[in-house]
Amino acid sequence: MAKNRTYNRRNILIIIVVILITAILLTGRLTYLIIFKSEEYAARAKALHERERPIKAERGSIYDINGVEIATNKPVCTISVIHNQITEPERVIKVLSEELGLSEEYVRKRVEKVSSIERIKSNVNKETADRIREYKLDGVMVDEDYKRYYPYGSLASKVIGFTGSDNQGVIGLEVKYEEYLKGINGTILTLTTAYGVEIENAAEDRITPQPGNDLYLTLDVNIQKYAEQAAYKVMEAKGADNVKLIVMNPNNGEIYAMVNAPEFDLNNPYNLINEIAQDYVGETLSSEKLNELLNGMWRNACISDTYEPGSAFKIVTTTAALEEKVLSLDDRFFCPGYKRVEDRIIRCHKAGGHGSQSFMEGIMNSCNPVFMEVGARVGVKKTYEYYKKLGLFNKTGVDIPGEANSIMHDIEDIGAVELATMSFGQSFQITPLQLLTAASAIINGGTLVTPHFGREIRSRDGRLIKTLTYETKENVISKETSETMKQLLEAVVSGGTGKRAYLPGFRVGGKTATSEKLPRRSGKYISSFIGFAPADDPQVIALVLIDEPVGIYYGGTVAAPVIADLFNSILPYMGIEPEYTEEELKQYEVGTFEVPDLIGKTRKEMKDLLRIYDFEDVYTLGDGETVTEQFPLPGESVNRGSSLVLYY
Amino acid sequence: MERTAGKPKKEKLYRYYDYSLLFLILFLVCFGLVMIYSTSSYNAQRLYGDATYYLSRQALLGGAGILIMLFVSKIDYRIYIKKLPIIKLKPVTILYLLCVFLQIYVIAFGEEIKGAKRWIEIGSLGSFQPSELSKIAVIMFTAYIVNLAPRRLDKIWGFLRVAVFIAPLLGLVIVENLSTGLIIGLIFVGICFVASKKKAYFIISGLAMGALVAVMIFFVDFRSERFDAWLNVETHEKGYQILQGLYAIASGGIFGKGLGESMQKLGFIPESHNDMIFSVICEELGLFGAIALILLFILLLWRIFVIAINAPDLYGGLIATGVLIHIASQVLINIAVVTSTIPSTGIPLPFISYGGSSLMVILFEMGIVLSVSNQIKAYKA
Repeated sequence: MAKNRTYNRRNILIIIVVILITAILLTGRLTYLIIFKSEEYAARAKALHERERPIKAERGSIYDINGVEIATNKPVCTISVIHNQITEPERVIKVLSEELGLSEEYVRKRVEKVSSIERIKSNVNKETADRIREYKLDGVMVDEDYKRYYPYGSLASKVIGFTGSDNQGVIGLEVKYEEYLKGINGTILTLTTAYGVEIENAAEDRITPQPGNDLYLTLDVNIQKYAEQAAYKVMEAKGADNVKLIVMNPNNGEIYAMVNAPEFDLNNPYNLINEIAQDYVGETLSSEKLNELLNGMWRNACISDTYEPGSAFKIVTTTAALEEKVLSLDDRFFCPGYKRVEDRIIRCHKAGGHGSQSFMEGIMNSCNPVFMEVGARVGVKKTYEYYKKLGLFNKTGVDIPGEANSIMHDIEDIGAVELATMSFGQSFQITPLQLLTAASAIINGGTLVTPHFGREIRSRDGRLIKTLTYETKENVISKETSETMKQLLEAVVSGGTGKRAYLPGFRVGGKTATSEKLPRRSGKYISSFIGFAPADDPQVIALVLIDEPVGIYYGGTVAAPVIADLFNSILPYMGIEPEYTEEELKQYEVGTFEVPDLIGKTRKEMKDLLRIYDFEDVYTLGDGETVTEQFPLPGESVNRGSSLVLYY
Repeated sequence: MERTAGKPKKEKLYRYYDYSLLFLILFLVCFGLVMIYSTSSYNAQRLYGDATYYLSRQALLGGAGILIMLFVSKIDYRIYIKKLPIIKLKPVTILYLLCVFLQIYVIAFGEEIKGAKRWIEIGSLGSFQPSELSKIAVIMFTAYIVNLAPRRLDKIWGFLRVAVFIAPLLGLVIVENLSTGLIIGLIFVGICFVASKKKAYFIISGLAMGALVAVMIFFVDFRSERFDAWLNVETHEKGYQILQGLYAIASGGIFGKGLGESMQKLGFIPESHNDMIFSVICEELGLFGAIALILLFILLLWRIFVIAINAPDLYGGLIATGVLIHIASQVLINIAVVTSTIPSTGIPLPFISYGGSSLMVILFEMGIVLSVSNQIKAYKA
């Protein structure tokens, strides 16, 4: 047996030293990993272990000017599956596809996908969700959630907008005020094993969701309703393609109503409205086509579409001329029915011409040659200066996404012909809202306002978070010009082309327009009317556009009554009482009278009496010979033309 | 230090037995069982519905292993190199030949698990990995061959003579499992190194071995893939297990999450009770726990070292050295793999990792080392 010699021991020592050095190096490496790499790796490990279950924040509501809720939330459920927890995949697929009305392959794809959690369907109503819960399927999760709900359905649909499946705004104010409305989603962090099973009793980090703030609008549900009624009425009566109607406060740009008839149902924004769907009956629409149609349906044409404003734009031409003092109301013009500009003959809408007339008469007749002349007096450079001052080169800045800008000639390209057509509102395009904003500046004393819907942001408990402010530009035109314009436009309504907008008791100003759509001679028109009241101190301005009316298409005939109808409803609502002039009282038989005592009168006597009094409809009840009761009661003051009920 | 193989003075000598080594072994085995329960209970529950499935199997084999160890420690290790009476063969030769046979058998008929044939199915006891047994065979057989003529190792021819004897088994193991082959190679070279007086040629042969390993890494398909995975541990598909181990180490921090609190063992690290157990120890017990465990291993190695240099003869010293190198290389390689210091290779952590054959073989080796210590004759203090 060999001996264990000294050099053997020394060799063993060498080995143990090598081992020790290696061990120290590895300990160093381990220490490095733990001290310097831990933050990075531990965070990644944590991300791996935690499953984040978002808790949706409740979206803020939207209120109108009177505090009426027009966009809110209602509880719905989200159905998801956790792949690793599913024990009976076939049953899960069957139940979910049946209950949710989804195709089996759609559900199968999601059920069989290896992921920690897979959403099957959101916005499931509560009853369906409760039924699914009843099945007690392993791996199927039912999470309570909120769905956006619009109590007024289609009211101001293209203004308010709607939200998508993740509760994010898709169009309209819902998009614009997304950051205020959406709130902050919360999360529940649960620890899970690699197989996606949640670990019970593991510390759950919970971040409570913060509900979104509420948005308060300038929109008035009542005015919007009146406006929609008026718009739908004329759309139906005239078989029009669509009707746009904007009602605004000209002094500060608060929009009370914006109608884009036909509106769509905000609670079913992906269903085509009948007006569109009827053109595609029996057709299966490709998804691109459907998307295109939906986008068209959601489009807020009041701000996104441009048109040739036509005669309504004569307001701007007149304003420029008055400001430049190249026009006085007494200036006389002669209209032979056309005007020759360079080598072109541009016709007036009246074939025979208006003959000799003052400017006042010219605007009341909406005579094109007069305005060509006026426009030429102002000149290209000044014209564009006023366009600019009146905001016609810029978007209005309204708080709805998707606003279009005007389409104008380059200033170098404007010759006499272009200038002539521009002066009566042709050969360029602006949005209806741009026209309304410019007109507001003209009648409000010269302040260019930013039209808007948003008034203020309040927290859920009503605390004021933010008052929304908008830019205004003062004195873009002079006060005197503004006063003159109001008088002129009142004259247009009281005795000119706009007389169908005349409303006894109210002083209405306005301007009609009939724009022939491009291409010309297609026979398609936009009839429009811009009106405001009271003419001496405008509180409300409204613009209506009737797109492609069938039959008579003159703005004065078709559009002006819409504004009269609207103002008749909303002016009293806005607290503007009618003040009848003597003349009006007589002419329109308005005014009040005291109801006489008719009790005891015989049927025969009544026949004569009713000729004297201004009752419109008389209803008689009962078979007696003498009046036993009457309504209204004797001595009451009633409007002329009221009804009378008599009991015999 | 006393010359243990000195002149016998029987009245003042007593037979030494390294109780501190025994204690360290028992402690490590128990600690291993605790960690196996901690790491495997989730998967055992998930796969077998019994949280103690792995624990009970390991505890059973550990208990048996400890009994075998205690039994072996009382047998004089020199018996293994004496011819048996009837068959005229030395036990060490029988063991060596048995291992060669088993290695051939496993290559031919072994059970294929995860793309490698390494196991022999033995009924209800599960499967047995013959390459573990080959480690003992190489330790004992190399020590035996070297002990026959230790001075020849001063020249490379002497080394090659030993190598010729070991080559068949080593070759078979390498074919089957490179990492075990590497450990066996280290043991063999280490023993020769200790026996030699002049050792310049070790540098040469060391380089040769490095070259061989490099060739294996770059030219054998799945091994070079491991190399790629190591270089790109965060992005490579095959780096998943190592990356998960790193996550575990990092999320443990300095003091750990506490025993049983590992998240990574919940399926993120596949078979966390096996080769990757050290990463879970780091996660649960932190840097302190890990360093404490490393210190325990160093203490254990130190005890073996003390026994090796005090062994009564060269054969005993060489056996102890072989065991020392075996334990040390596995511990160091395992930790190096877990910390992504070297490319991943399947080396279990001695005493701790789950695995019956590994634990039994190590305990058997410990028995031999204790038996060497038992032959040391020391003066009474």
